Amino acid sequence: MILAAECDVANEVICAPADVNELFDFPTIFTIGNFEVSRTEILMIFAAFVVLILFYFGLRQQRLVPSKFGVAIEGMIGFVRDGIGRDVIGPESTKYLPYLLAMFSFLLVGNLFEVTPLINFPISSRMAIPVFLSLVTYLIFMILGFSRNHFRYLIDTAWPKTVPIGLRWLVGLIELVSVFLLRPLTLAVRLFANMVAGHLMLTLLLGSGVIFLAAIPEIGVKGSIGLFWFALGLFMFLLEVLVAVLQAYIFTLLTAIYIESSIHFEH
Amino acid sequence: MEGNIADLAPALALIGYGLGAIGPGIGIGIVAGNAITAMARQPEMQGTIRTTMFLGIALTEALALIGFVLFFIASAG
Repeated sequence: MILAAECDVANEVICAPADVNELFDFPTIFTIGNFEVSRTEILMIFAAFVVLILFYFGLRQQRLVPSKFGVAIEGMIGFVRDGIGRDVIGPESTKYLPYLLAMFSFLLVGNLFEVTPLINFPISSRMAIPVFLSLVTYLIFMILGFSRNHFRYLIDTAWPKTVPIGLRWLVGLIELVSVFLLRPLTLAVRLFANMVAGHLMLTLLLGSGVIFLAAIPEIGVKGSIGLFWFALGLFMFLLEVLVAVLQAYIFTLLTAIYIESSIHFEH
Repeated sequence: MEGNIADLAPALALIGYGLGAIGPGIGIGIVAGNAITAMARQPEMQGTIRTTMFLGIALTEALALIGFVLFFIASAG
């Protein structure tokens, strides 16, 4: 919701939402058992459906010369398979491609909801979604690390043999914290923070632009500053499209890098 | 003008986050700048360099992100 608050322009020229949470927290629409379904959950399921529909219509007919839409979908799959999977993980990447592709496409659609008219809400700006995805990634690379390298995974992380003995405890400590604690945390927070910041900025710029412009009849020429805010908001809008795609890419890329570091642990 | 230090918590958290973002900002600049130099010198290595650049940015950015989380924790408390 870009025009966040039900703002009574007639009474108050500059009005803000009472709380920043209003932009991210939506009232419950209905409940199923103990689950309270609000706009966020509906959008989440909608994003999954959009991904399914895109893949279904993109890959429905296997033709020698695919349609333009089919080329776009195949291009995306090829990008994840070659640019993320094969380049980072190597020949083994086929095994992890379904996970990477599912995550990339879901995050891409979910992030682009931020700049989709009438939706205007990035679902990954609710912490639950990045946290869940990063915990799944964490489980995958932990299980891989321990099953491929057994207990050596933990010991060699905390006591790296390649580092000179004087610094080994320090590097080991940093590595231990970074691998086992900071990786899942930063993976989730990076996506969350970028989406929250983008959503807030768009709301503030476009919202204040519209409010000022709507108030021109009352405050006169001073309201034309809204034009500046609105232009800035449109510029940020384009930037946010870039950020949404980039964050989906980075999330998937880091997942691939973490998986790779668990498989080829020795270096 | 009276009050206790707890009222200042959000403002202090904001200042703290601003300070915490300086280092990672410089770091990301160095990483990205060197990646551009490397790409300009060896365009054929672009894919590898980009991957490594994002890894470097991710590791550097972690500090700023920790600051971001701590900002929320500190300003709420």
